Amino acid sequence: PQSGPRAARGGPRREDRGRQRPHLRSVGRRRAGPIRDAGRRWPQAAGCRRVPGCRRCGPSSCARVWVIVERYQKEKYLPLLDKTKFLVPEELTMTQFITIIRSRMALTATQAFYLLVNNKSLASMSLTMAEVYRDYKDEDGFVYMTYASQEMFGCCSLTLGKTMECHHKT
Amino acid sequence: MDAATLTYDTLRFEYEDFPETKEPVWILGRKYSVFTEKEEILLDVTSRLWFTYRKNFPAIGGTGPTSDTGWGCMLRCGQMIFAQALVCRHLGRDWRWIKGKRQTDNYFSVLNAFIDKKDSYYSIHQIAQMGVGEGKSIGQWYGPNTVAQVLKKLATFDTWSSLAVHIAMDNTVVMEEIRRLCQSNFSCAGAAACPAVEADVLYNGYPEEAGVRDKLSLWKPLVLLIPLRLGLTEINEAYIETLKHCFMMPQSLGVIGGKPNSAHYFIGYVGEELIYLDPHTTQPAVEPSDSGCLPDESFHCQHPPCRMSIAELDPSIAVGFFCHTEEDFNDWCHQIKKLSLVRGALPMFELVERQPSHFSNPDVLNLTPDSSDADRLERFFDSEDEDFEILSL
Repeated sequence: PQSGPRAARGGPRREDRGRQRPHLRSVGRRRAGPIRDAGRRWPQAAGCRRVPGCRRCGPSSCARVWVIVERYQKEKYLPLLDKTKFLVPEELTMTQFITIIRSRMALTATQAFYLLVNNKSLASMSLTMAEVYRDYKDEDGFVYMTYASQEMFGCCSLTLGKTMECHHKT
Repeated sequence: MDAATLTYDTLRFEYEDFPETKEPVWILGRKYSVFTEKEEILLDVTSRLWFTYRKNFPAIGGTGPTSDTGWGCMLRCGQMIFAQALVCRHLGRDWRWIKGKRQTDNYFSVLNAFIDKKDSYYSIHQIAQMGVGEGKSIGQWYGPNTVAQVLKKLATFDTWSSLAVHIAMDNTVVMEEIRRLCQSNFSCAGAAACPAVEADVLYNGYPEEAGVRDKLSLWKPLVLLIPLRLGLTEINEAYIETLKHCFMMPQSLGVIGGKPNSAHYFIGYVGEELIYLDPHTTQPAVEPSDSGCLPDESFHCQHPPCRMSIAELDPSIAVGFFCHTEEDFNDWCHQIKKLSLVRGALPMFELVERQPSHFSNPDVLNLTPDSSDADRLERFFDSEDEDFEILSL
């Protein structure tokens, strides 16, 4: 049984691995899957992998990393992204990537936004996507990221009772 | 000292004492031994300003709440970490509060900045009302970043303290931004800041610090707040060693955060436990007496502080530091760089000299500088598969 992003709507599923050898044109909803041995062949492979369908790439096509970006399931403040799967140029830095996501959500500079890799770690902002891929890729060839803001703190009466126990003096 | 010992003795059965351990106790950059320095530990803790829920204060906004019980805990923690910055700024880290002893005017000025009335610089009234600009209606819960952003705005009105408040977003501290902030405004605001510096020297009775103060005339005292999220539901244990190190730095202002739903002000650690001041006690609001004197005992926590396991910490926190001088800041940077080399300690944030390449610099992406941000961004999404979004350079 899968938990976390992989189980989420539209996320790639392990059982899809191996079945799919998609190049981009044929990637379809619910059948999305990465190239099975992407880790070995791509994006480390010498030279660049041309991504079909990328009109801007032109002759100097660029290598890309598959990134899944999902909202933390308990997140209450940040909006949902309309897309969760991204093909990101490997030379893009985390700073640039986060700027894109922040702008997409129309967040202000003072709003808290954290992109946690593998549900755990804050990737260093100066890392390139290639480095993030190297350090954090899942065995299925995707990099999984979850975004969240910060928790808010306050006391409903229930927790208040609990904390009052340790402050019974008052 | 006697007063602190007496307080500790009378309350020792109500609050759990420190464990008898060889592990050092770290409180805001100071190292203590439980065996030989228990009184010093308690005196240090008692000397921090302790802000709790209060009731019966003047209504916020004239018609709003008169108590913050149930919603104000993160606002109180924000007050505590900022009060510590003001204590460092105006009284020094070595200053101690002794019960019953007459305190300096500067001490009362610091305390007054946080009293529950509408015109104190950092009162619950000011924080709650300034929070409206951050999208928080009065009485709504705050996160560590929310209160940090609000305090930064409020600090601009506090010309007495003349602090440079920097909030490092996206877990990145950019040294260049901080230097620019701390070295700015002396051309225009220098006139306002300088008399305050002289007044400090006079009231504090520390004329020997005058030389030091002269040197920092080119550096505004820095309050650095770094809001972070160290995991989703629980703290990633790889960050725990780094978090502990934050309490070991002399520039430490502690950490605001909490357990799920309950905000705490963390001031140190011992072993695997965090030491904190808890705002979850409702006290009556304090009014100055007829003689104009402010009864201040309820603003100091006179029992051994609470402790909790580090693993219980909610991942949403803000870490605080105070750098009085440029040397303090350089030293802080040096320590952070050293810390990144410690094995087994994953950095919680990154320290960089300059803003990493960014959209603010159109050259990086070879885009025309005259196109609007939105235009530029749309070019990143120039080709969309049904399922995948292709970002292009």
